Amino acid sequence: MTTYTERVSTQGRLGTDLRLAWLLTRGSDRREGWRALLTAVGAALATGLGLVVAALLPLTGQHHVPVGYGMLDQPGTRIGVIAALLMLLIPVLGFLGQCARIGAVHRERRLAALRLAGASPGQVRRIAALESGLACLAGSAVATVVSVPTLLRMWHRPDPLVWAVMAVVAVLVPVLGVVVSVLALRRLVASPLGRLRRERPAEGPGRLFRVATALLGLLVVYVVTTPFHDVPFEFALTPVTVFCLCLLVGAVAVWLTGASARQLGEGLSARAKSPALLIAAERLRDDPWAAARTHAAVLLVTVAGSGFLGIRQVLLSALRSREHHYADEIAEIEGGLNLTGLAILAALALVLTALAVGTAESVATRRRGLAAQSAAGVPYSVLARATLLETALPLAPALAVAGLGGLTISVWYGSIASEHGTPDAPYMALLAPVLAYAACLLAAATSLPLLRRSLRPAELRYA
Amino acid sequence: MIAMSTRHILLGLLASGPSHGYDLKRRHDERFPQARPLAYGQVYTTLQRLVRDGLAEIDATESDGGPERTTYRATADGERELTEWAREIAPPAPFVTNEIFAKVVVAILSGGDPDAYLRAQRAAHMGRMRELTQVKTAKGADLATVLSADYALNHLDADLRWMTTTAARLTTLTAEVDTA
Amino acid sequence: MSTTVPLLAARDLVKAHGPTEALRGASLELRAGEILAVTGASGSGKSTLLHCLAGIVRPDAGSVSYAGEQLHTLSEKRLSELRRTDFGVVFQFGQLIPELTALDNVALPLMLAGAARKDAQVRGQEWLERFGVLGQEALRPGEMSGGQAQRTALARALVTDPKVVFADEPTGALDSLASEQVMTALTHTAGEQGTAVLLITHDAQVAAYADRELRLNDGVVAPQEVAA
Repeated sequence: MTTYTERVSTQGRLGTDLRLAWLLTRGSDRREGWRALLTAVGAALATGLGLVVAALLPLTGQHHVPVGYGMLDQPGTRIGVIAALLMLLIPVLGFLGQCARIGAVHRERRLAALRLAGASPGQVRRIAALESGLACLAGSAVATVVSVPTLLRMWHRPDPLVWAVMAVVAVLVPVLGVVVSVLALRRLVASPLGRLRRERPAEGPGRLFRVATALLGLLVVYVVTTPFHDVPFEFALTPVTVFCLCLLVGAVAVWLTGASARQLGEGLSARAKSPALLIAAERLRDDPWAAARTHAAVLLVTVAGSGFLGIRQVLLSALRSREHHYADEIAEIEGGLNLTGLAILAALALVLTALAVGTAESVATRRRGLAAQSAAGVPYSVLARATLLETALPLAPALAVAGLGGLTISVWYGSIASEHGTPDAPYMALLAPVLAYAACLLAAATSLPLLRRSLRPAELRYA
Repeated sequence: MIAMSTRHILLGLLASGPSHGYDLKRRHDERFPQARPLAYGQVYTTLQRLVRDGLAEIDATESDGGPERTTYRATADGERELTEWAREIAPPAPFVTNEIFAKVVVAILSGGDPDAYLRAQRAAHMGRMRELTQVKTAKGADLATVLSADYALNHLDADLRWMTTTAARLTTLTAEVDTA
Repeated sequence: MSTTVPLLAARDLVKAHGPTEALRGASLELRAGEILAVTGASGSGKSTLLHCLAGIVRPDAGSVSYAGEQLHTLSEKRLSELRRTDFGVVFQFGQLIPELTALDNVALPLMLAGAARKDAQVRGQEWLERFGVLGQEALRPGEMSGGQAQRTALARALVTDPKVVFADEPTGALDSLASEQVMTALTHTAGEQGTAVLLITHDAQVAAYADRELRLNDGVVAPQEVAA
């Protein structure tokens, strides 16, 4: 006699998992739909950027490219564009990471319930991976479908290498999505009770994060010291170096947010005089890495933005100081740079959306407790101030580091550019963190209407 | 039931040493505060029956000028009987004589208002529960008082719960009783 | 001992949640210093009644008067202030801020009223001790047992010396022993302070701690029988 389960399990397991993943996504509330949609958008952006880089990389020497203000014609400026595109990848990756956090509590509860119902750890992992993998695949497919005809219209017989790299990119993005979601859920699937009890705050960055940071650091040290290695492709590595530097500074800023949040929380909660500051500081102390996770994408974009503003200033002033040489190109280059700036602004918007969603998510998760506070007479203004302070406090030191990092990158770039002219001091790099800080507070403030709605006594009825 | 447990409770009180009738009554009332207090006559008859059955015997008779006082002690048989009784489980109330239920049915049969009766009974139960709660939460209440009050409270609570469910199902019950 | 003028009175309260009417003309009076239990089956409108009485919810019809003021005429801000100064609230769970320590949770209402943190903490400590929460003031609610957390919640509700404490199933998540400790602490302290308590419960043994019981049946207060 075989049991019912044994008979069922012989029929396509993956099919069952896929069906379950689909049923669960469809049956759950709107937040899950939001996550899938935003994940797909992030994946599409990542794929799109990857595909453009893939098309540009094999180009050597001078070409006539019909897009990009002629910036793609010369090998030198082309490298700059590739660098800018790679830099754009940073916020997109940050955004993707943030998407995984939307509805996290809800999803983890659901997956833990699956475990309780008898799903094996492997099955739960597959279902979760399928959920994000499918969203990433959809995004990547859309980007590829749009990109291929566009490329064919501009370039009649593309290099076979381009096709190969493009195929790799299109497949790599969904695979990365699956890997990331499996990594994010590795702790949950071990226990059927999941985090149904009190959510245990993470201790700090995982081993993966530390290893990645260390590797980035080594890479940057290697690249920066290339002049002394006597390697011929010194300047060709510049965009990659800038990309790695931005990632490194971003990682350091994320780590700093987490590491400083505990001390910041402890120090402030001991000294807090107002209830709002006390609540914000204690929440920070309770889960110091929550801020780092929420703000990671913002920090990465700020580093990129700060670096961009600095480099833009350095580059333009260097070119202008030798205007008689580059009179024709300045307008073109400025146009190209402005295009990159727009892209970074778009990235900032993307990341701020993610931040707003994250703050709203945090309010929605705590809505019953917040309603109870309001019922006990804690005024809305106190809870609202606490919510804003929760974003404002940990961001301040991290954004300062991000700005300084961007400034350093610009100064370093300036020292290279000074061979071609005498550039300004890249003080513009310091503008980015200030703007980002203001934008973050605005983004956090978008959750206030939700907070007000959460304080309705009807929320008391839900456990 | 009552007579039988009085027998064993007296034997239990004698286990700590010889004692006379009045002393036994006093200790019983102290030890079991929420139980009905023992009448002295009941103590006296029960002791005589214990002596008759060979479970207790007269320890001494003394009279310090006043009335005669007889001290009793448990025999070896009595101690054995007590051990066996303490080990035996109490029957989990197999035949419940439920006065409240009987009154509800009678109220239906005689065209009375069973709902009003249940409400009044509930109010009375709650009143008694409030008294017991006051007794047990009074400052300085000893544990024996608290535990015996708890016992009574839990039983009254069980009655109340039964009354609540019955009140909710009176319509169906009325139909059933009337057609029968 | 109790005055004839009620401290809190509700007249013919009606409140619907969507299509379901939770209250259908409920009236009651709470006298100063009195402990009143409101019992009833789940869904009988007990919690909604408490929400209306505490000014958390505005009834669709009917009125609530507290110390001569009609709650429905007050602004949201004034109601919030009233809940902070004159009322205390205890729920089954969730009224403590999970990230704050027991002491800060108890000190919070005083800080909201404008007290300095130090003073608020000193007073909070006294109240925690009064409720038998000793040596736990640095713990967060998640690190305490259910009974300790509820006693901390009681301390938080009573620390401002309110006139009325609203308790909605305060022992709903507790075992009988912890429930007994919480109820004893509540009734003793309320008695000492002269605080009135409106106690919502479905448990007759908890209701027996009150001076009086009202039963709520389908959104109306059931007729009362005088015990013989």
